Amino acid sequence: MQRNDVVTALEAALSEALEREVADLDGNVRLFDDLHLDSTSMLEVLMSLEESIGLQVEPEDLEIEAFESVDSLTDFVLSTRPAAV
Amino acid sequence: MTTQPRLLHDLLDDAARRDPHTPALSTGERTASLGELASASSRIARHLRARGLRRGDRVAVRTGDPLAAVAALFAVSRTGAVFSLLHESVRDGAFTHVLTDAEPAAVVCDSDEARDEATAAGADFLTTGDLLALAETPPPGAADGTANGTGAEETAPVPDRTSPVLEVDPVCMIYTSGTTSRPKAVVSTHQQILFAARAIRERLGYRADDTVYCPLPVSFDYGLYQVYLVMLAGARLRFGSPTESGPPLLRSLVESGATVLAGVPAVSDRLAWLAARSRRRPTSLRLLTNTGAALSEKTVASLRESLPGLRVQVMYGLTECKRAAIMPPDGDLDRPGSCGLPLDGTEIFVVGPDGERLPAGETGQIVVRGPNVMAGYWRREELTAERFHRRDGLFPELRTGDYGWVDEDGYLYFDGRRDDIYKERGFRVSATEVEAAAHRVEGVDSAIVLPPANGRPAQLAVISSIPKEEVLERMRGEIEEFKVPRVCVRLDDLPTNSNGKVDRARLADLISAPGRA
Repeated sequence: MQRNDVVTALEAALSEALEREVADLDGNVRLFDDLHLDSTSMLEVLMSLEESIGLQVEPEDLEIEAFESVDSLTDFVLSTRPAAV
Repeated sequence: MTTQPRLLHDLLDDAARRDPHTPALSTGERTASLGELASASSRIARHLRARGLRRGDRVAVRTGDPLAAVAALFAVSRTGAVFSLLHESVRDGAFTHVLTDAEPAAVVCDSDEARDEATAAGADFLTTGDLLALAETPPPGAADGTANGTGAEETAPVPDRTSPVLEVDPVCMIYTSGTTSRPKAVVSTHQQILFAARAIRERLGYRADDTVYCPLPVSFDYGLYQVYLVMLAGARLRFGSPTESGPPLLRSLVESGATVLAGVPAVSDRLAWLAARSRRRPTSLRLLTNTGAALSEKTVASLRESLPGLRVQVMYGLTECKRAAIMPPDGDLDRPGSCGLPLDGTEIFVVGPDGERLPAGETGQIVVRGPNVMAGYWRREELTAERFHRRDGLFPELRTGDYGWVDEDGYLYFDGRRDDIYKERGFRVSATEVEAAAHRVEGVDSAIVLPPANGRPAQLAVISSIPKEEVLERMRGEIEEFKVPRVCVRLDDLPTNSNGKVDRARLADLISAPGRA
């Protein structure tokens, strides 16, 4: 799976969690401060990614650093090597 | 010491005497022992007194550091003043409201705007750093021998012969939403807090070997009470930041060795989702307590399957009496839908429209009586008289505004509200307050909130000359972020009924009509 695909899936997941259109995200955008995600909507994003791209979450591997920015979350998703493409 | 704590800070001093050294309170980064906290709060109190803080004065505290907030609140308690811990998202207009309403003599906050505003209002201003530095500085009066920076005299009462602190004095103000366009503060005395804390501890049974994980901010009353509960139990408290308590929640629980999780439905839902996917489960977690709103049965069932050692305690309460009812552990299995029995020494009953008591099984307004009923709303005489009704003009009983019924055995069942309050993500939100905030945004002519229903979130409908995104963005300066509806629609007209009032049912249909964003 390519980085672009992950970002697209992430944008869709964010749009769903925030109930508004999220597109053309810059990698530096911070999830909490800029997009106003909270701990609940952050988990909703993971739930959507599980559905859309088969993200397999190991709850023990979820560290706070992964949820800082669009880039850090994309890196995290890529590092889990989703099963589906 | 066999005497019961009389003042709020006695709770800390007693606990510190029993165990001064264990790092009892911690965040992901720092820890504090009760001995440290007792002497830090004592020093801060002496400094605050020297800077002019007097009994009955108000102190507003908005800080992202829960350990600093706890030091501040006990310091304020020692001076006989009243603390109000504000959520970090209380900014701009919401912050100004607190300054005008509480007229604090001192403000602890970390923003320049807040400094300017508080100073202009005549308040003493400290940053979190300033506050913590006071704890490191020998207090004034050290020169005359009343304190020398070490030893037991550190926690001696702050000397004030003319006006000693009484247990019937106010010590805490908690801003809460509801039926008014701006939040109002529930005032609690030392006595009321100590009663409520002890009564809750009796039911929750926190133990000395517990580590309580608290993902709730101390500005939220159940978060704040965790501090008192662990002190009564001799347990430890780990504050979880919003990020730590998001997707990393399970990991945070495992790493902190948590045995108790103080939750709201959003937290419990998150734990259920994570635990179902995890191989390494937090087996030390023995108790989940839930407040804020009812837990979904699906969540509880999933938690029980993933975490077989976990027991669940559901509760019901409101800031006006802190806690009203608590279910025995796993009592929801026998009485699904109930939120438990009244605290010891208190009573819960249901009244009809004329205030008459209704028999078991009949639905009416929930009323609470007992020493847990707080003093009332700060400077809101009318509203206080209405909610904190005095039967026969004398005896306070809290008319909660919540509706429900009580079964033959005294178990309470919650049935909802009949006013403008709704719960979203476990937070109590007032439609009146949200609408008022939208109205204050320049460019908004009209605003109506549709509370959450049928699984959809709260929605805001506006007539405005600015884009809907901008309406929501500007509202963040008026009310806390969690109160801002996630969905906003712009309309040209709001549908009205024959009385000229907004027709909410038609509005809901309009908004959900296909093709609308």
